[in-house]
Amino acid sequence: MKVTVADNRMIFTGPLLLEHVSQTYKYAERVLPRFPGGSLVLDLSGVEEIDSAGVVLLDEICARARQRGLEPELEKIPESIRGTLQTFSSKNLIDREKRIKPSFLERLGEDTTALSANVLQLLYLLADSVFFALLSLFRRRGVRKGEFINQSILIGMNAFPIVALISFLVGFILALQSAAQLRQFGASIFVADLIAISMTREMGPLMTAIIFAGRSGSAIASEIATMVVTEEADALRSMALNPVRYIVVPKIYAMTLTLPLLTVLSMLIGILGAMVIGVTYLDIGIKPFYNEVVNALVLKDIVTGLVKSLVFALIISIVGAFYGFRVRGGAEGVGRATTASVVASIFFVILADSILGLIFYFGKGVEI
Amino acid sequence: MNISSNEIVRVEHLDAGFGASRVLHDVSLSARENEITVILGPSGCGKTTLLKHLIRLHQPWRGSIRLFGQEITAMDEPQFNRILRRIGVLFQNGALLNSITVAENVAIPLRQHTSLPPNIIQRLVRVKLNVVNLVHAADLYPAELSGGMRKRAALARAIALDPPLLFGDEPSAGLDPVTCASLDRLILKMKQDLGVSVLLVSHVVSSVKRIADRVIYLDRGEVLFSGTLQEAYGAGIKKIDDFFQMG
Repeated sequence: MKVTVADNRMIFTGPLLLEHVSQTYKYAERVLPRFPGGSLVLDLSGVEEIDSAGVVLLDEICARARQRGLEPELEKIPESIRGTLQTFSSKNLIDREKRIKPSFLERLGEDTTALSANVLQLLYLLADSVFFALLSLFRRRGVRKGEFINQSILIGMNAFPIVALISFLVGFILALQSAAQLRQFGASIFVADLIAISMTREMGPLMTAIIFAGRSGSAIASEIATMVVTEEADALRSMALNPVRYIVVPKIYAMTLTLPLLTVLSMLIGILGAMVIGVTYLDIGIKPFYNEVVNALVLKDIVTGLVKSLVFALIISIVGAFYGFRVRGGAEGVGRATTASVVASIFFVILADSILGLIFYFGKGVEI
Repeated sequence: MNISSNEIVRVEHLDAGFGASRVLHDVSLSARENEITVILGPSGCGKTTLLKHLIRLHQPWRGSIRLFGQEITAMDEPQFNRILRRIGVLFQNGALLNSITVAENVAIPLRQHTSLPPNIIQRLVRVKLNVVNLVHAADLYPAELSGGMRKRAALARAIALDPPLLFGDEPSAGLDPVTCASLDRLILKMKQDLGVSVLLVSHVVSSVKRIADRVIYLDRGEVLFSGTLQEAYGAGIKKIDDFFQMG
């Protein structure tokens, strides 16, 4: 492609294709200031071939010329390129409206509105879930038969190996770390007290809930999100079935049954892990360790742990359902919903743990 | 528009959209008993959105929707659920529940909305699957079915309660011509043998020509034409002529 300048003419010779556009454009930008004013003729008589990039280049040169006060026009257009010029001309395309970036206050306002809408939706879902969970205890219609057993196995039973392993290791590690300090004061035996109380009050319920959030909470979110994306939830609504009652309630039942049960197992297995350290590292016999655990624990420790696990069960199932139902987009949206539900579940579980801890143990706490 | 006694669906002056974006503008249409009415138009014209408004998956900005002569837009949920039980809905991709078998999918409305004993439900499920030629697939899961089979299974579920009205969202979309024709024959069978009134959304011209008694042409959210298929051919509206010629 060759461009020559003569009087008020820019003469193009050769093919004007994609590979020629950059160089030709740079040249055109350099020579445009040479034109004094008035008309500018783009002579295309020598252009044997043109593609969409070439057409757009000509439009761009014309636009730049107009900016400089020139009046560009195309002349001597060969018949062979007329069709292509017409097809790809961008002259009549309306410019996209430039998106004005919102200011800080506007963004703050939008985010606050979105947050309050989300909180409201979450509260509606919580209300619906609790209502239908209670209603379905007395009226079975609207809930899938056999689903409670299925979900209990999927959510609860299948989580036992991982809960057991992690609880054992947590008890083991806590005992090991605390033993090193307590030994210095000749208070090794109190490892039993420390692990028993921490496993029942905190670590048992919390670790089990976090495992459930990652394992079962994500499964709830992804299952419901997939159902939304594939219109299964719409299909349920079109059959006059409430998706919260049909899908979420069995999961709430399963979670509130299995999470406390696995929490108790977690407490026991965690203490067992600590006992291994006590016996092998601290030379505490099994019986003395056991007696120390039994003497250290009071009913309140176990009950508060179970109450926490019930609250955590509700949090994990509701948060998973919430993110599942509000999914947007296809597979990517399902992934985002799943990730967000795990993060949010863990956050709310820890927040609830802190609040319950304050209620039960701050000052005099709640007497049980 | 005066309400005709055999109108089973009637929409008047419907405006609807999402956020600030209007999708449907002043849409008025009707569908009659024992007829197959097809809403057609190019992709993105609002056909599926309109259908979803008819089953109240979305709320309109303004306008009236009457099903079986009853206004549904402000109806309370229990009353609307009673109406929903008289409607079968066939979603674009079937929307079968993937965690249960075909037979269990078809049984959902029967188990949830009737007091039929389990053995009767089982028979009924087989009868419905037989209508759509899918008895052999009763124990398969949706993921094990072809696209056409999924749609037929979804149709069996949609007619589980013998609804007098069937809605379909692009039932022929994504199907090869033979399967498409087969599904169309089933829909015609619903109308002729079971007396079901059908309102479908479609952009498959061959299908429309095969089954439609009446057509409603939607263009950018507005009704451009409403009438019989013959009237559509003779309407002289370029967009409709192009639609039928190029389809």
